[in-house]
Amino acid sequence: MPTNNVVDQRISKFKNKGKDLAKLREKRISECVELRKAQKNENFLKRRNITLSSLPDEEALSPENDTVGLHYRIEDIIRDVNSKDREAQTRGCQAARKLLSKGRDPPLKEIIDAGLLSPFVSFLAMDDESTLQFEAAWALTNIASGTSWHTQQVVEHGAVPAFINLLASPVLHISEQAVWALGNIAGDGAAYRDILIECNVIPALALMVQNYGYLQVGYVRNLTWTLSNLCRNKNPCPPLSAVQQMLPALIQLLHLSDKDILSDACWAISYLSDGSNDRIDVVVKTGIVPRLVQLMNSKELSIVTPALRSIGNIVSGSNLHTQMAIDAGALNVLPNLLRHPKPTVQKEAAWALSNIAAGPCKQIQQLITCGLLPPLVEVLRNGDFKTQKEAVWAVTNFTSGGTVEQVVKLVQSGALEAIINLLQVKDAKVILVLLEAVNNIFMAAEKLGETEKLCLLIEELGGLERLEVLQNHPNEMVYQSAHDLIQKYFNDVVQVDATQNLFQTSDVKKTFEF
Amino acid sequence: MELNDGNLQTLTEYLRKTLNPDPTVRRPAEKFLESVEGNQNYPLLLLTLLEKSQDNVIRVCAAVTFKNYIKRNWRIVEDEPNKISDADRTAIKANIINLMLSSPEQIQKQLSDAISIIGREDFPQKWPDLLTEMVTRFRSGDFHIINGVLRTAHSLFKRYRHEFKSNELWTEIKLVLDTFALPLTELFKATIDLCQTHANDVSALKVLFSSLTLISKLFYSLNFQDLPEFFEDNMETWMTNFHGLLTLDNKLLQTDDEEEAGLLELLKSQICDNAALYAQKYDEEFQPYLPRFVTAIWGLLVSTGQEVKYDLLVSNAIQFLASVCERPHYKHLFEDQNTLTSICEKVIVPNMEFRSADEEAFEDNSEEYIRRDLEGSDIDTRRRAACDLVRGLCKFFEGPVTAIFSGYVNSMLTEYAKNPGQNWKHKDAAIYLVTSLASKAQTQKHGITQANELVNLTEFFVNHILPDLKSSNVNEFPVLKADAIKYVMIFRSQLPKEQLLQAVPLLITHLQAESTVEHTYAAHALERLFTMRGPNNATLITSAEMAPFTEQLLTNLFKALSLPGSAENEYIMKAIMRSFSLLQEAIVPYIPSLIGQLTHKLLLVSKNPSKPHFNHYLFESLCLSVRITCKANPATVSSFEEALFPVFTEILQNDVQEFLPYVFQVMSLLLEIHSNSIPASYMALFPHLLQPILWERTGNIPPLVRLLQAYLEKGGAAIATSAADKIPGLLGVFQKLIASKANDHQGFYLLNSIIENMPPESITQYRRQIFILLFQRLQNSKTTKFIKSFLVFVNLYCAKYGAIALQEIFDSIQTKMFGMVLEKIIIPEVQKVSGAVEKKICAVGIIKILTECPAMMDTEYTKLWTPLLQALIGLFELPEDDSIPDDEHFIDIEDAPGYQTAFSQLAFAGRKEHDPIGDAVGNPKILLAQSLHKLSTACPGRVPSMLSTSLNADALKFLQGYLQAANVQLV
Repeated sequence: MPTNNVVDQRISKFKNKGKDLAKLREKRISECVELRKAQKNENFLKRRNITLSSLPDEEALSPENDTVGLHYRIEDIIRDVNSKDREAQTRGCQAARKLLSKGRDPPLKEIIDAGLLSPFVSFLAMDDESTLQFEAAWALTNIASGTSWHTQQVVEHGAVPAFINLLASPVLHISEQAVWALGNIAGDGAAYRDILIECNVIPALALMVQNYGYLQVGYVRNLTWTLSNLCRNKNPCPPLSAVQQMLPALIQLLHLSDKDILSDACWAISYLSDGSNDRIDVVVKTGIVPRLVQLMNSKELSIVTPALRSIGNIVSGSNLHTQMAIDAGALNVLPNLLRHPKPTVQKEAAWALSNIAAGPCKQIQQLITCGLLPPLVEVLRNGDFKTQKEAVWAVTNFTSGGTVEQVVKLVQSGALEAIINLLQVKDAKVILVLLEAVNNIFMAAEKLGETEKLCLLIEELGGLERLEVLQNHPNEMVYQSAHDLIQKYFNDVVQVDATQNLFQTSDVKKTFEF
Repeated sequence: MELNDGNLQTLTEYLRKTLNPDPTVRRPAEKFLESVEGNQNYPLLLLTLLEKSQDNVIRVCAAVTFKNYIKRNWRIVEDEPNKISDADRTAIKANIINLMLSSPEQIQKQLSDAISIIGREDFPQKWPDLLTEMVTRFRSGDFHIINGVLRTAHSLFKRYRHEFKSNELWTEIKLVLDTFALPLTELFKATIDLCQTHANDVSALKVLFSSLTLISKLFYSLNFQDLPEFFEDNMETWMTNFHGLLTLDNKLLQTDDEEEAGLLELLKSQICDNAALYAQKYDEEFQPYLPRFVTAIWGLLVSTGQEVKYDLLVSNAIQFLASVCERPHYKHLFEDQNTLTSICEKVIVPNMEFRSADEEAFEDNSEEYIRRDLEGSDIDTRRRAACDLVRGLCKFFEGPVTAIFSGYVNSMLTEYAKNPGQNWKHKDAAIYLVTSLASKAQTQKHGITQANELVNLTEFFVNHILPDLKSSNVNEFPVLKADAIKYVMIFRSQLPKEQLLQAVPLLITHLQAESTVEHTYAAHALERLFTMRGPNNATLITSAEMAPFTEQLLTNLFKALSLPGSAENEYIMKAIMRSFSLLQEAIVPYIPSLIGQLTHKLLLVSKNPSKPHFNHYLFESLCLSVRITCKANPATVSSFEEALFPVFTEILQNDVQEFLPYVFQVMSLLLEIHSNSIPASYMALFPHLLQPILWERTGNIPPLVRLLQAYLEKGGAAIATSAADKIPGLLGVFQKLIASKANDHQGFYLLNSIIENMPPESITQYRRQIFILLFQRLQNSKTTKFIKSFLVFVNLYCAKYGAIALQEIFDSIQTKMFGMVLEKIIIPEVQKVSGAVEKKICAVGIIKILTECPAMMDTEYTKLWTPLLQALIGLFELPEDDSIPDDEHFIDIEDAPGYQTAFSQLAFAGRKEHDPIGDAVGNPKILLAQSLHKLSTACPGRVPSMLSTSLNADALKFLQGYLQAANVQLV
């Protein structure tokens, strides 16, 4: 039972802030308040170990032992764990672990309140008692998978250094359990993540990645997930030095073929690239962009989503970053993603596109050449609302930065009709952004001397009527923009509104200087 | 102010006085209340009165006063004193909810408004317990109280529907959801249960249904910005119940009123909105529920009657279907032939019928009818919604829908044919159906521009429209006549020309119809037909083709103005203007009689100008009469002056502000027709035109400047001799205009005319001052627009008075001024000058400076010689520099010269472009070559050496081209 995913807080803002539109552009920067349910296909922040897939511990898995723990009461566990007898301790510890692994409502708080954390943590150091060590690690992993408070109890009992030591355990399933536990702690948030980083967890994990050939695939999956949690969260972001340390390991993982590993590795990259331009810079310098584009084209949704998110982050960086993604072929993949059956993928693709459209006209040209206009117009027309919203930004950015010829191309692709249809959408901000696009298109038409033609086209498409309706919009800015457009372009009916002037100069004393 | 009986008594007395109809009693009482409202306890006294006063009138009055007090004073404005003490604020917030809930409805409403004003400022931070306090009332079981809470919540939350997303807003919504969503859901369920329990108790049901409507409104507000997690988790509950309510009917709740929507209608209408919101924004989550809603809403439409009270519900419901049927993934819901037929038959056709309400509007409220039918202000009507649904369905099912409707159209026409007198409404519906089916795109300028190819518009015209137009009695079936005229008008671009020509005389006949709508439509249709363009951009219908009908057309148009209700009919006046413009010299024989009618009309409307469009077209028609007649015979101008001046004089004397700009334009037009002299009647008016008050109104400035320009052009010398004392006043106008960033170009227009037309000696004494004013403006607020006009003026001055005069006057104002202007203004900015005439003036002026100004050859100005020449070649050869400095971007568009919507510019009073240089200089490039040649022969060797040392290679190449073309060589 993982805790609810914290809402994904992606930093995303449009680049080229200097342009006039900057004030309009939606800055979806960090810490946004969300009303929606958290994203469903995001990866987990914390996970509880319920059954073991990769650990070869036959004994722990054997069915005859399995029922034992569930008959244990907490008092029995306390008694056993606190006894001096290793066997009883192991038995008690195992029983606790089984209680903590049961399907629903594991008694996390009861175990903590019973004062069992101290003995568990002390068991972690018992290298000569591998079974006890393992059971304690498992139990603590599951406690750490609870709420922040639960995780905090585990950390405050000194589990962090103990787990980091366990990474070096010759017994692989013990070291894997430690990896898992550390992943849960890292997933709690930036504070614990940074504590782990300070305790040098990264070199130890990176070493494991280097030796991935000796590990079971399940182990490598856990390893990747833990690394991804170390990349995760903002305010602050993980230290750049730590990022530098993790990137080689992540790059290595990205070249494997297991879908879970690829998914988590991509998530890791998506977290690292979700930030200021210098963060993006560190990521793209590894040369990973072509591989990300390749993964963006994967058949697995769990890979496509984070790969696309990473590319989306990268194209929100500088024009140079965007160019790298374009050179790696991102624009060839985006049309398919804009037509992806999953609306969330369409939305992310449209978001990426909106940032590319905010670039210089050379990049806008590439966007046209790669055939992005038809799918863009399709999502404007028929996309899910979230996708339409991003597509609207794309169109507005396009019209604000594109050349006259490019804007004409956009209009010819049917974007104007779609824009006009959307003017009835129930979202004031979206309407305002659309009106900005209409205004930009008018400016292009003015340069071509085709204002009148555009007026007629807009009227034919029912746009004038929509604008007139918007003059009654309760939102002041929407009303004003619609009003201004009508006044400026559609007001051809001439309106009817409603001693001696002195000719003298004041004394000229100062010198003229122009 | 103490909270005591004495004060309550005083307050009661003053409140009562504020209700007194006598202003001498009322005003002082209002003043008194305002003077004491800053005192502590004042609001609490009002609250006490509205709660406890024995007199109900005083209670209500106190409530209203309280609300207005809150509205004026609650907001704390930064840097201004807090107008309500903190103690009063706390006391108000602590008591107002209870008070509101326990008050009778009239007072409750005022307090509810007050709460939402306070809430807007204080909620949530400074009024954290507001919501919890409200929510606890849900459990009271008293629906009077519950509705009070719901109403207040609605006024607090409804802004979520239109405000921009922001973290602040969403934090508030999140907080509201956390406290409010669950109790609201519980209340919703409980209320629905109670509706079943009380299914037979009409008064209980009424209260419960108004709760449900409010709850549904709250649902809309809370779900507007995004789909909240809570509502996603509880979608089943809400949607199932909404669906149930949509399909519910209860005889007890049906109202007899035909106009006013009842509770059931209001509720269902809101539910349609809620479903539309989810369908539009949360499609992914709403998909499982959508088909059910489509069926329910369709069912609702089929069973809802024609009464006006259902209009909003029906149009909302149809719009819902229209928006869904266009979406590819819901296409299947409509695909089935039976479904389509049934929607066409039971939803669309009935809602296109001409109802008795439409008939009433047609007869008694023609302006409103025309606005709805012709100008598209029919957004919320049933017909319009049905039309949108037709268009939506045609997106995927054009063929089947057209086929289904063709059947209907035929059967309706058959019905009509059986008994026209009885069944004329069937034909009306048939025409409407054809129109909505056939039109795919439409503009005011061209009518329908894209039509459904499956509909044969010409055939329908010949078989069903033409017979109505031809009918001998124009007053029979006026609605059908109006329909037929409208058909011609909107399908004008789709019908062949011969059909249109056939229609023209018939339309002229219909100008005589008694029905306002009918003759208005006829005028409008003619006006539109006359604007149509044929090949070569000539009018489609020519003056020659109109010859047989000209007299009838003019007669009927002017007669129509005397039909009841059409005395100031803008459509007719516009048709008059358009007819004049089309017929041109063909109208000349009629003008003597028409001008009388037009001036008579002008005299009438100038008493009380109320129809701006009518008046505008009236003046346009006057201009056309003048232009067309005087073009053939300029001498007739005096007869126009004779006819118009008496009316104009009245307008000027009575200061009819709306008309002054028009009058100035017509006068300019008349004066410009005179050959080079100025009649005494104009001169008498000259001093009045300089009155400062006229120049205070921005709308007067452009036409007045133009009129003064006409005075100067025709009578510069006359002014210098007979009105020399008015010259300072004239220059005063220039000074006033030049000081304004918006009007400086107008000032330059005037100044240029003065320089061009006044005898030089008459302004010698003012020249220095003129330049000082210009330099001051240049120094204080230099804008691109000002510089452009300045450059044109300086060069015009140079062309007129010579380069030496220019240099001398500059240098007399300040040493080396001439060099500074050249270096800082002329050389760097001349590239920005726009307009062919303006560029030519600059070229001629600069050529003179280069070649006729000794100071340029032998003083330190010499170093500017080549740069100036280079700038001139740039002006000839390079594209115009239309860049504007960053800090000027904020200047309004109105400031740009030429953009003149601010005043009522008459299209047909237009002025020819004036070229002060004229033919004297054919090609300035040749003039440059010739002038350089002359200069070089005067001082041999110097010109080629200046050229070779510093002129850039490209410029030199161009210059050589000019020299070659002029066939001269430099020595």
